[in-house]
Amino acid sequence: MASEDLTIVLERNAEGAAYEQIAAQIRDAIVAGTLEPGAVLPGVRGLASDLGINFNTVARAYRLLEEQGFVRIRDRSGVEVVRPASRPSPVQSAPLERELWQVLTRLRQAGVTIPDLRRLVDSQLGALDGGSRPGVKSS
Amino acid sequence: MNPTVLLLVILAVQSLVVGGLLLIQPYVTRRGLLFGVYVGEEAWDGPEARAITTAWTRGLVTALVVSLVLAVAVAFAGDASPARVTLAGVGSLLLLVLYSYVAYLGAYRKARHLAVVGAPAAASLVRDLPHSLAVPLTALVVATCVGVAAVAYAALHYAQMPAEVPTHFGFSGAPDAWSPRSFGAVMMLPMGALFMGVSLALIACLTARAKRAIRVGDAGVSLAAQVRFRNAMATFLGGVAVLVSLMMGLMSVFSVRTAMGLASGMPAAVMVLTLVLLVYALGGSIYLAVRFGQGGSKLEGRTSAPLSNGLADNAHWVLGMFYVNRDDPSFMVEKRFGIGYTLNFGNPKAVALLVVFLAFILYTVVSGLMMPQTSGPAR
Repeated sequence: MASEDLTIVLERNAEGAAYEQIAAQIRDAIVAGTLEPGAVLPGVRGLASDLGINFNTVARAYRLLEEQGFVRIRDRSGVEVVRPASRPSPVQSAPLERELWQVLTRLRQAGVTIPDLRRLVDSQLGALDGGSRPGVKSS
Repeated sequence: MNPTVLLLVILAVQSLVVGGLLLIQPYVTRRGLLFGVYVGEEAWDGPEARAITTAWTRGLVTALVVSLVLAVAVAFAGDASPARVTLAGVGSLLLLVLYSYVAYLGAYRKARHLAVVGAPAAASLVRDLPHSLAVPLTALVVATCVGVAAVAYAALHYAQMPAEVPTHFGFSGAPDAWSPRSFGAVMMLPMGALFMGVSLALIACLTARAKRAIRVGDAGVSLAAQVRFRNAMATFLGGVAVLVSLMMGLMSVFSVRTAMGLASGMPAAVMVLTLVLLVYALGGSIYLAVRFGQGGSKLEGRTSAPLSNGLADNAHWVLGMFYVNRDDPSFMVEKRFGIGYTLNFGNPKAVALLVVFLAFILYTVVSGLMMPQTSGPAR
């Protein structure tokens, strides 16, 4: 299932809804390589039972991941991690570029200087390249 | 040996085994769980927790001794008949179990003062671990076949039965009470064989898929232990289902044969199966407790990794015994105190299953009590 063990932890008092916490941890695990392309995610019922939450919460997390292009939901064989696209498609990347622009302008508005922004982006890219983004819990 | 004394010895051994099983419960639970309360792994080892456990142990040992002395006194105060000895033995056992519940509630109230405050994290380790439904499903098939065969055998012979049928059998296996032929008098036993066998096998299947709880940050050691325990428990329950089904199915068939004059009563195999079932159930419980500990706790070692999920969530447990979480789709969850699993009382399907089960038991008891019965030897 997973290349190495992945623990999904749901903090009751953390920021973000339960489905967002689940989706974020799976997304980070995919980016870090803990979950490789082709890996099948735990069944909705099993994960909901482990975490003590409604099926719909897990299903919503999986739908979000599918919308973001990280997984493919299949009827019978479950939810599968998909390989990153070999070349960017303008249809997919254009709205994300607009989102990135919005984040950058909000950071600028929050007082982050251009050199600090550059350092921040470089640091994030370095982590993405090395697959070691903080927040991925693996054991 | 005198049969009455032998009976008393058997009942005393049963009391000792049950008392022993009750006694060891706090010592086989998971680290962090104290009398149904999650107190955390550190406090679990502390002096206050130890004092609560010691008080429970002393109280239960005293209750066990008192109940055995009472049983002997009651048994030999009068004619020491098998009925009186049975009453004394069963009565003392019930007293012991009742005391254990009262003592548990006292210990639970004390443990509440050490409870971890706040909602714990819920966690799931994404890992495939071997869990097989092969044994419980096989038990389900066997129990269904035996039960259906017993029902069919009784139904097919119903018309040929005499006006009175045997409805109670003595220790020797010979019938000693009779009732007018009716659906209840004839079909109760085979229907019971089918219902009990299938119910127990279903519980075994549900146990094999019970909710998992992990310790966060222990590299999956706890989960692996828990899954091993769960598989062993499901296999054990599957065995109980098959034995109950065979015992009741055999009783049902020979009840019909006795009514029709084709047999003089229950065969020795029924008594043998009963003894095998008793030894298997008690021995299996002891083995599971000693070998694995509750939820596989004996295989975890002296871990300090915190428990997660339902087991650690004090807010979703009533009296430390009843897990009630409407959001949780789990059917069965690990008990916080004692060996085995319990229902998620927040799951309507689990509650419905319990209601059906209890309704059948109640129907059986009430209709049995209301059935006209006359005592006497074989007709």
